[in-house]
Amino acid sequence: MVFVPAMTKEASAGESAVGKGSAITDALQIGEITALGKRQVTIKTKFEKTAKTYELHLLPECYVMTAKRADFKKFSELKKGDLIAAYGWFKDGKWNARRIDILDANDYLVKRLDSDAKAGVYYKHEQY
Amino acid sequence: MKKAFALSLATLIALVSFAVSADAKTTVLTPFDKRDWHVIASQDSDAPLRDYAILYDAGGVDGAIGVIGIPSMRTYRHIKCGVDLHNFPFSGSNAGNNNGTPDGKYLYVSDKGSDTIAEVNLQTGWTERIFALPKPFGIHHSAALSPNGKYLWATGELTGKMLKLRLSDGATTVIDVPPAPSAPDYPDTARDGSYVFSGNYYHSTVMVFQQDPFKLVKEIPVGKNPHGTNVSPTNRTVAVCDKLSATLSIIDVQQLRVRKVIPTGAGPLHNQWDTLGKYIYQSCFVSDSTSKIDADRGQLVDEFPIHYRVGHNSIAPDNAYYCSQNKFSTGLFTPTGIVFAVNFELQDIDESSPTYGKSVKLIPVDGEPHEGRMIFANYIQRWNTGKGAELFTKGYDLGDVHIEFGQAGTPGLKGVRPQLEPKHSDNVKKVWIPRDDGKPGVTKEGDVYVVRVKAFSYGYVPRFIHVPKGAKVRMILTNIDKASGLTKNPDVTMGLAVYGYYGMRTMLISPRGISQMAEFVADKAGEYEFFCQHFCGPLHLEMRGTFFVDPPGGQASLANGDYDSVSMQEQLLDEAESEFLVGTNKLMNTLKEGNEPTI
Repeated sequence: MVFVPAMTKEASAGESAVGKGSAITDALQIGEITALGKRQVTIKTKFEKTAKTYELHLLPECYVMTAKRADFKKFSELKKGDLIAAYGWFKDGKWNARRIDILDANDYLVKRLDSDAKAGVYYKHEQY
Repeated sequence: MKKAFALSLATLIALVSFAVSADAKTTVLTPFDKRDWHVIASQDSDAPLRDYAILYDAGGVDGAIGVIGIPSMRTYRHIKCGVDLHNFPFSGSNAGNNNGTPDGKYLYVSDKGSDTIAEVNLQTGWTERIFALPKPFGIHHSAALSPNGKYLWATGELTGKMLKLRLSDGATTVIDVPPAPSAPDYPDTARDGSYVFSGNYYHSTVMVFQQDPFKLVKEIPVGKNPHGTNVSPTNRTVAVCDKLSATLSIIDVQQLRVRKVIPTGAGPLHNQWDTLGKYIYQSCFVSDSTSKIDADRGQLVDEFPIHYRVGHNSIAPDNAYYCSQNKFSTGLFTPTGIVFAVNFELQDIDESSPTYGKSVKLIPVDGEPHEGRMIFANYIQRWNTGKGAELFTKGYDLGDVHIEFGQAGTPGLKGVRPQLEPKHSDNVKKVWIPRDDGKPGVTKEGDVYVVRVKAFSYGYVPRFIHVPKGAKVRMILTNIDKASGLTKNPDVTMGLAVYGYYGMRTMLISPRGISQMAEFVADKAGEYEFFCQHFCGPLHLEMRGTFFVDPPGGQASLANGDYDSVSMQEQLLDEAESEFLVGTNKLMNTLKEGNEPTI
C-alpha cells in the first residue's frame, strides 16, 4: 500500500516552467552578457524561441571559470558578448549566481544547442 | 658557366626549401600546464603528466575513496574512510549537475556499513571527521547537499527514515517515512532550496520532502523500484530510474507530478545530467548499456554498449567523458585473489570526437565502487612546493573568491587538519573456509551461537536471526547461487553486512564455492538490518534480512536496543581520535526547523 498524503499548500506549488522556455525561477541560465555592473551581469538568453533578459547578481562565494578546463577568472575578466552558463537560484526578487562558466562556442554541447534551436527544438521548451 | 650557375641556384633553392620545411616541422611544445590529452604532436615526454579532471569514487566494500585521473584513468590513491562507502556530494553548493559547484574543500561520503558519514578533505587527501548518525538509522546515501552547502540529507534505507544534518556540528533532524516497509533510497535536492527528492523502492514512489522545515509533503508514484533520482541543473525536472520498469520518469519540480515516462534500457540504475541540462545519461545494468536521453525532446536519442554490467556512473565536468562503473568483470583481468576486481569503462561522449560513443579506457578497480563524481583537477592545490604553510593558514583562491578552512558559517575545523584512518574491522576473527553445507539457521554448539546464512539471487535463508545479548556468535555465509539471477554471471559474489555497530564485525563475502566465517560477541542489543554489500544483480539492493540481538527478558526492536551506546561509534576510531567524531543521538532533533535556511 502506498502512502499518498493529501497535497499540502507547499506541495501544490506553482505553474510549471516546463515547455515554456526559460523562467526567472530556473537554477541555470544560459546567455550572452549584454551589460556588466558591480558583481552583476545582464544576459540575453540563447537557444530558446524568444530571447529573454535576466539580471544576475553574484553571491560573495560565486566564482567565474571557463567551462572547458576550469581556468579560474576574476569577475573583471568577464566581458560583453561572453556566452555564459550561470548556476544559482531566484530568491527575494533577485537571481543569485553561485557559479559562472564561460562557455566555449566550439564546444559540442553548445553547438548542439545551437543547431537544435535552428531546427526548431528550442532549449527549455521541453516537448512533454 | 650558365649551367653551373643554374645548378648552384637550384642547390641553394633546395637548401632553403629544406631549411624552411625543417623549420615548419619543428614541434611547438605546449606549455606544461596547458597540455591537453588530445595533443598528439611529439612532446618532451611521451605521456601527459597531469590529468585535467579527477574522478572520486566511493569504494564500497573497500572502505576507501578511490582517486582516479581523467582521462588517463590512472589510480592515484585511496583515501581510507570506513567500512562500506556508497555516495557523496562535494562541499560547496548543489548548483549544477551531480558534480555540483565544488569549493574544493570536502566530500561527504555515506558509509552504509558503519552507518556514518565521513568528511574527506580533498586538499590534504585525508579523512577529517566522522559524523556519527543517531541510531537506529541505517544510512544508504548522502548525496543531497543544500544550495548553501551547510546541510546534507541522507536516507535511512534500512529503517525507513530520513535525516537532515547540519555540517558544522552534526546536529540532525530525523523523521520517519511510513508505512513500513519503507526504503528511502537515492536522494537529490532541488537547486532552489525547496525540496528533497528520494526514491523509495518498497513504495515504488519518489518521496518529496520540504528542505526547511524538514518534512514529508508528498509521494509521487513512479515505475517499479525506482533508484537513481537526479534533479536537473535547471531545477525544472527530476529524472528517476525506474529499475524494474525499464523506463525513465520525468517529474515536474513545480507541479510535483510525472510529466513523461520514457522507455529506456533494461535495469536502469543511475542518471548523470550534463552541465547544461541537455542530455541525461542513464546506466542500464541488465541491457549493458548507456541510454542517452534528450531532455528537450523527451526522447531516447542514443545508446552505447557497455561491456560489463554497469552500475553507477559519472560524467566529466566538461561533458567530454562519461565513466561506466561496472559491477562485474566476468572473464576479464588476471586473478589476484578470492574476490575479483570490478572495472571502470571510460566513454567518449563528445559528439565532435572521432571516437564518440566508444569505450576508450577500461581499468580494474578494487572494492566495489558506488557513486562517482568528477571535479576539475585544478581545484586541488599543490601543497608540496613550499606553499603548504600558506595554504594551511590562509587557504586558496578560485579566481577572485577566497576559500579557507574554518570560515564562519562553513563546516570544518580551524587550526588543525586531522589524518584519520578509520578501522575496517574490530574485535572480530574472520576466516575463509571451503563451502559450508550446514543447515541454515541458528544452532548452539557449546557456548557459541552458530549462525548459518545461505545467500542467493536475491535473498537470504534465514531472513530473521535472533541471538541473546552477550552471545558469542559464529556467523557463516555461504553463496548457494548457481549464477546471478537474470544476468547469469558465473562469478556472482554474495555479501552480508549487518549495518552499524556490527558492520565492522561482519562484512562477509562469499564467491561460489567459498564460505566466509566471522566470530564476534553480540554485546549491543538492538534490531539491525543486514544487507548484501557486494553487487549481485538487479535486486541486490532489495536483498535484506534482520539481525536481532535480544536484551535480557525481551525482544529487540527499533525502540528496544542499546542505541544511545552504539550511536557513539567509539569502535570506529582510536580513543585519541574521538574528538573528531561528531553527531550521535545527543544532537538528534536539535535543528531549529523553519529557521535553518538552505539557500
